[in-house]
Amino acid sequence: MSERGFLPGVFKGLGITMKTMARPAVTHEYPDARPDLPPRSRGVIALVEENCTSCMLCARECPDWCIYIEGHKETIPATTPGGRERQRNVLDRFAIDYALCMYCGICVEVCPFDALYWSPQFEYAEFDIQDLLHEKERLGQWVQTVPVPPALDERAPDAAEVVSANKPPRVPRPAAAAGDATGAVSAAGEAPVRRERPAGGDRPARAERPAPEAAAGAPTDATTDAATPATRDAEPAAPPEPPEPAVPAEPPVAPEEETS
Amino acid sequence: MGSGSIGSADMILNIGPQHPATHGVLRLRIVVDGERLVSADPVIGYMHRGAEKLFEVRDYRQIIVLANRHDWLSAFSNELGVVLAAEELLGMEIPERATWTRTLLAELQRTLSHLVFLGSYPLELGAITPTFFAFHEREAIQAVLEELSGGRLHYMFNRVGGLKDDHPAGWLDRVTKAVADVRAGLADIEGLLMTNEILKARTVGVGVLSPELIKAYGVTGPIARASGVDVDLRRDAPYLAYGELFGEGGPGRVVTRTGGDAYARLSCLFEQTYNSLDIADACVARLSEMPRGPINQRLPKVLKVPEGETYAVVENSLGQNGYFLVSRGDKTPWRMKLRTASFNNIGVLVEMLPGNLVSDMVSIMGSMFFVVGDVDK
Repeated sequence: MSERGFLPGVFKGLGITMKTMARPAVTHEYPDARPDLPPRSRGVIALVEENCTSCMLCARECPDWCIYIEGHKETIPATTPGGRERQRNVLDRFAIDYALCMYCGICVEVCPFDALYWSPQFEYAEFDIQDLLHEKERLGQWVQTVPVPPALDERAPDAAEVVSANKPPRVPRPAAAAGDATGAVSAAGEAPVRRERPAGGDRPARAERPAPEAAAGAPTDATTDAATPATRDAEPAAPPEPPEPAVPAEPPVAPEEETS
Repeated sequence: MGSGSIGSADMILNIGPQHPATHGVLRLRIVVDGERLVSADPVIGYMHRGAEKLFEVRDYRQIIVLANRHDWLSAFSNELGVVLAAEELLGMEIPERATWTRTLLAELQRTLSHLVFLGSYPLELGAITPTFFAFHEREAIQAVLEELSGGRLHYMFNRVGGLKDDHPAGWLDRVTKAVADVRAGLADIEGLLMTNEILKARTVGVGVLSPELIKAYGVTGPIARASGVDVDLRRDAPYLAYGELFGEGGPGRVVTRTGGDAYARLSCLFEQTYNSLDIADACVARLSEMPRGPINQRLPKVLKVPEGETYAVVENSLGQNGYFLVSRGDKTPWRMKLRTASFNNIGVLVEMLPGNLVSDMVSIMGSMFFVVGDVDK
C-alpha cells in the first residue's frame, strides 16, 4: 500500500475534511453563548429553607456525607389556655460541600418536604476549594434558577404530585361530624393526632374506613373529583377516606430509623 | 531476535503511570532489547478506590452512585449490574416499560463508549481528526441522555425496581433523530479510518490475539469477538429485553472477526456500534407502541434485600461485567464482588506484547480498549 507511494486514504480523508469545512461550527463559544441545558440537568442543589424541617434525612442518605445540618428545638407556647406546648425544629445551618458532592441527587430524592431542588446552573467555580461550601443563604439563591420539570411522555402514568393533588380533600370523620361544636375543632387538628397513632391513638377510627374499592375508585375520574366532595358531605353514612399511602408506610419505618 | 543487541544489555523502561499513550494511570514495566520488547508487565492499582469495600457500607441506592464510576464510559451498564443482582434476590418483577427503556439506554451508552475508543485509538496512532468526529457524534446521544437522566456521564438513573423518572414528552422522537444522526456521522469516521493506508499499516497483523489466549485469560467483549471467539451475553444469557432482540428476526447480531489483530478489533467495534444503533431503534419502536404504564416500582423507605447470593453478569461495552452479591438480609450487601472486563483484558498484555516493536506497543495497547478505573476498581 504505502510502498506504492500513493495513499488514496489520505485523499479520502481530505475529501471528508472539505465536506466538513462547509458545515457550520458545532462548538458553542461558551462564555458568550450559554448552553441550553435540559431541566433535569444536575448542576447545583437549591434549598427552599422554609420547607426544611431539619429532619436530617438528606444528610444521612448522602453517600459521601457532604451535607451539614445544624438546628435546635424551639418551644411554642400553647395558643389556647390549657393547651399543649409544641416543639418546633429550627434550622440554624444547612450547607452542602460541593467539593465533596457527587451530584447523585439522592438528597433531592429523599427530601420528604420538597426543600431541595436541582438546578442546571453550573457557574460556581472557585479559586479556593473552601469556597465550594455553600451555606443556606447561597443555596437559597439558587432557587430562582430552578426550572419547571419537563412534561412527561403520554405513556407515563401521572406524576405523584398530580395523583396527590387530584385526591379528594379530607372530610371530617363521622364521629366528629356528629358531635357538637368542639368536635369540629378536634377534626381540624386531625393531622397531629394521626401522627401519634402508633403510640395508641384512635385505633377504632381505622376500622370505620370504607371498603378498598370505594377508596380506589375515587382518584380514577380526576375531573369530577373537585365537584364530588360537597355532595359526599351530605351523606355522612359513607365518608370517602382517600387512600393514603404515606401514613400506613410510616409506622414500620420510624423504629428502623431510630435504630440505625 | 534483538536488533540492537550489539554489546548492549536489556533496558528496563517504565511506561506510565502518567504516560499519554496509556490513557489513564496504567503503568507498564517493559524490558527492551533494542527496539524489541522482551517482556511487559502491567502494574495496576494506581487508581484503586476500594469500591467493593465501600459497597458494604452503603445501601442499594448509594451503591449505584459508586458503581457507575468504575468504568466511567459505561456508567449505565454498571448501574444495571447492581440493580439486576438486587432485583434477582428480591424476586422483583420489573415493569415492561422500564425493561425496554433500560435496554435502550444500555445500547445508547454502548454507542457512547465505543465512540470514545473509535476516537481515541486513532489519536494514539497519531490521527487527531477522528476524535473530533467521534465526540461530535457523542454529543448527540449525550444530549438525549442528559435530558432523560440529568447526567452526562454518571447517569444515576437506575433504581432497584426500574428507573428514576419517566421519559419527558417527545423524548423518544429525539432519540430516533440522535440515532439517525450518529449513524450518518459514523459512516464518515469509518470512511476516514478503515480504508486509510497509514492506519492499516499500523494495525493489520499487529498484536494478534489467539482464541487460546483469550480463553486462558478470560478476555471478553469486542476484543474476544475480533479473534473469532463467538461469545456475547446479550445472546447467550439474555437479560433485560435482549432475549427478544437477539432472537429470531431481531436486530441484534453478535459481531465477530477472524483476524484477531488490532485492525480486526477496531472494525469489530465499528460494526458493533452500528448494531447498537439498530437495537436502539428497535427499542424506541417497541416503547412507542407500548400502553401507558409505570416505569418503576414503589419501594419501601428502607429496602432490605433478603438473605442469599446471586451473580448478575452484563455484557458491558468492553466485555463481561459481573456483580456477585451476597446479602445477609440487611439494607447493605454483605459483600459485592466485581468482575470487570478491563482487568482481564489488560492481563493478557503480558503475553501479547513481548516480541513486538516499541512503536507497536501503543498500537496494541490502544486496541485493547480498557478503562483504568475498571481495572483498578
